[in-house]
Amino acid sequence: MSEAKASPASSLARRAPAERRRQRRRSAVRRYAQVLLFLSPWIIGFVAFTLGPMILSLWWSFCHYDMVNAPQWIGLANFKFMFGVGQIQGLPPGAHDPYYWLSVRNTLWIIAFGVPLRIVFGMVTAMLLTRPKRGVNTYRTLFYAPSMVPRVATALVFVYLLNPVSGPINRIIDAIPGLDSPLWFFDPAWAKPALLIMGLWGIGDAIVIYLAGLLNVPRDLYEAIAIEGANWWQRFRYVTLPMITPVIFFTLIMGIIDGFQYFDQAYVAGNTASGQNAVLGQPQGSLLFYGLWLYEKAFRSFQMGYASAMAWIMFIATMICTVVLLATSRRWVHYGGRLQ
Amino acid sequence: MKRHLSAVLVAAIAIGLLLAGATACGGSDSSSPSPAASLDTTTPVTLTIWHPWTVKSEKEGFATAIAGFEEKYPWITLKIVTFPNSDEFDQTLIKNINAGTAPDVAISFGPDYVGKYAADGLWEDLTPMMNADNFDMSVFAPGALTYTSYQGKQVALPVLTDAYGLYYNKTMFAKAGLTEPPKTMSELMDDAKKLTVRNADGDIDVAGFVPLNAFNELGPSDLAKAWGAKWFDADNQPQIATDPGWAAALTWQKELVDWYGAEAITKFNAAWVDKEWTPDQVFETGHVAMIWDGEWRTKMIENDKADIDYATAPFPAADDHPELYGAGRVGGTICGIPRGTEHPQEAWLLVQYMSTDTDFLVALANMLGNVPTTKESAASPDLVMPDQMQTFIDVWNNQYSEFQPPLQAIGATYADFLNGYDDKWVVGKGGDLQTGLEKVDEDIANELAMGQAP
Repeated sequence: MSEAKASPASSLARRAPAERRRQRRRSAVRRYAQVLLFLSPWIIGFVAFTLGPMILSLWWSFCHYDMVNAPQWIGLANFKFMFGVGQIQGLPPGAHDPYYWLSVRNTLWIIAFGVPLRIVFGMVTAMLLTRPKRGVNTYRTLFYAPSMVPRVATALVFVYLLNPVSGPINRIIDAIPGLDSPLWFFDPAWAKPALLIMGLWGIGDAIVIYLAGLLNVPRDLYEAIAIEGANWWQRFRYVTLPMITPVIFFTLIMGIIDGFQYFDQAYVAGNTASGQNAVLGQPQGSLLFYGLWLYEKAFRSFQMGYASAMAWIMFIATMICTVVLLATSRRWVHYGGRLQ
Repeated sequence: MKRHLSAVLVAAIAIGLLLAGATACGGSDSSSPSPAASLDTTTPVTLTIWHPWTVKSEKEGFATAIAGFEEKYPWITLKIVTFPNSDEFDQTLIKNINAGTAPDVAISFGPDYVGKYAADGLWEDLTPMMNADNFDMSVFAPGALTYTSYQGKQVALPVLTDAYGLYYNKTMFAKAGLTEPPKTMSELMDDAKKLTVRNADGDIDVAGFVPLNAFNELGPSDLAKAWGAKWFDADNQPQIATDPGWAAALTWQKELVDWYGAEAITKFNAAWVDKEWTPDQVFETGHVAMIWDGEWRTKMIENDKADIDYATAPFPAADDHPELYGAGRVGGTICGIPRGTEHPQEAWLLVQYMSTDTDFLVALANMLGNVPTTKESAASPDLVMPDQMQTFIDVWNNQYSEFQPPLQAIGATYADFLNGYDDKWVVGKGGDLQTGLEKVDEDIANELAMGQAP
């Protein structure tokens, strides 16, 4: 009987832990709700403008979608057409996108040459900028200033500067006996190098990053290696270079991502120089980069399904490059005073 | 961070399309304009119209010319919207149609997407209203049908047009002992060589005729038109490799480029290609003796006060196609009713007005220097145009004149495959011509197939 009828005090004692748990849960929920509330602007933006479109474009990549009619599921047809493999319904065997691999080659070219050049040029210029004793800020401002010019404006200026006939650069080259001036944006062999030159002119952002990295190298390391009798190359090889590897790593990854997305400069320079609105990478396809061809398929040909497939392949390629670089970075990127 | 940056790429492609995609299936059930319903002339109606004339004088000129519509139909008010970038007009219009925010009437500079507008029902088929009002297409030249109608759907009507032909410098002709413009492609080749002047270093100072793709307005299909070459056969299959006119045209083109020297003509092109829309344009400054160009150049020469004595003529025809002399590429500004308008009948009144009202067309033609599209407006005494303009009015009225490239449901980007090959071919990088043209056919056929729903 006494067991059946528990005293109020003992009942309260049994309920207390449960009540405390409930209170803790309510408190936790409130905390999560507050966190979610504060995060909600980002969450809404991320879902609406990043995650949602990504999922949509993934779906479209398996569809025929012309931005007018409802997407129609076509399986792997877009990918088959891209890579020229397999049979696509309604197309002859081996049907493929004639410009896809050209755009891939051009993009890899600009990455292979543009990224190392940007790193070397940015680093060397930054090292030079650490030298002057006077007017340091003026030099730094001068070198950074070009990167503040919009890419479109830069491209327009360089199309003028590099015009084979009226451009001042060719006039100077022509004045030098024995030198043949290039046709730049009118010659497929010189069009991409012209873009590299344009890119180096606007390298101020990289210079600033390298400069920060160089100025961060502890001076005592230089003093220590100087005591060991190191020459300039050894100072650079065993102190400067390891200490700025995080900066090199950053610019390398950013350069590769930028290279995959290369668009503005090529679009403006190619179209302006050729006087055409078509975006087949004038001259003769030499400036047809992946981003340009994707744009052409999406917004001029209205093949949004195919363009989405292209975008996903580029996304995967970028991810692979990034992961590989991250994996190898342990061997050569030096963080916080430890050589890994 | 890297993941996020990479994602931005894909997201950027899709973000702008989210809204469009969400409404992609919507709107197709919008009611077609019904000619049967009686017109309510008592309830005020506001029509929104998009037009692409951005230059201040043209914008004001259009507003002045169109004012006659509101006088004629006093219960209708026009809300005129200038579309800032004509290069993106069609893309933007399609997005707005999908989103249900399209104007009641649209004027587009080019008919490249008329095939898509018709095939996908993006612009209303005007045929029922035309039939109800006994609208007669013969008020226009026959070439009008080649860029306003697709597979039996008349989705647009012309509002003035462009027509293309040959401009030639009379002073240079006289100096070279030439008394009349070339009428055949052989004569064009000969005259081009005679009229060319080189500097001491071999560079071209004055070119007789520049046959490069995209030099001014020229394209390989304009040359092939001289041989009567057709893009597609009766089954809508590309026939660039099988219609002999294409090979003949590209062979002619390369022969002239070879004569100049590929590097010399490329340098000449580089010097002038970006000056097409400036007073320093190559023909206006006397650095080319003959050029393929549109009728608007007559107005530009006048406005720029170019110091040249010139005349115009139809573009030459192939030696074995004399019947084609007088024909050329035509096609220009069009108007139509985007899907989804709430005032289809009033919109039709506006389309009818802009395409056929003589006072409106003459006012616009006098301002822009384009070819007036109706026979009545072309014969109007109020038309003020230089004598050289008559050539283009004649080209417009020629029975063989047509729009190029032909309308397709996917738009006009398929022509890029030919242009891309031609750019390589003329400088000697196109390999075997027949093989190259077969590849162009294959690429176009694949593009048509991939561009259409399975």
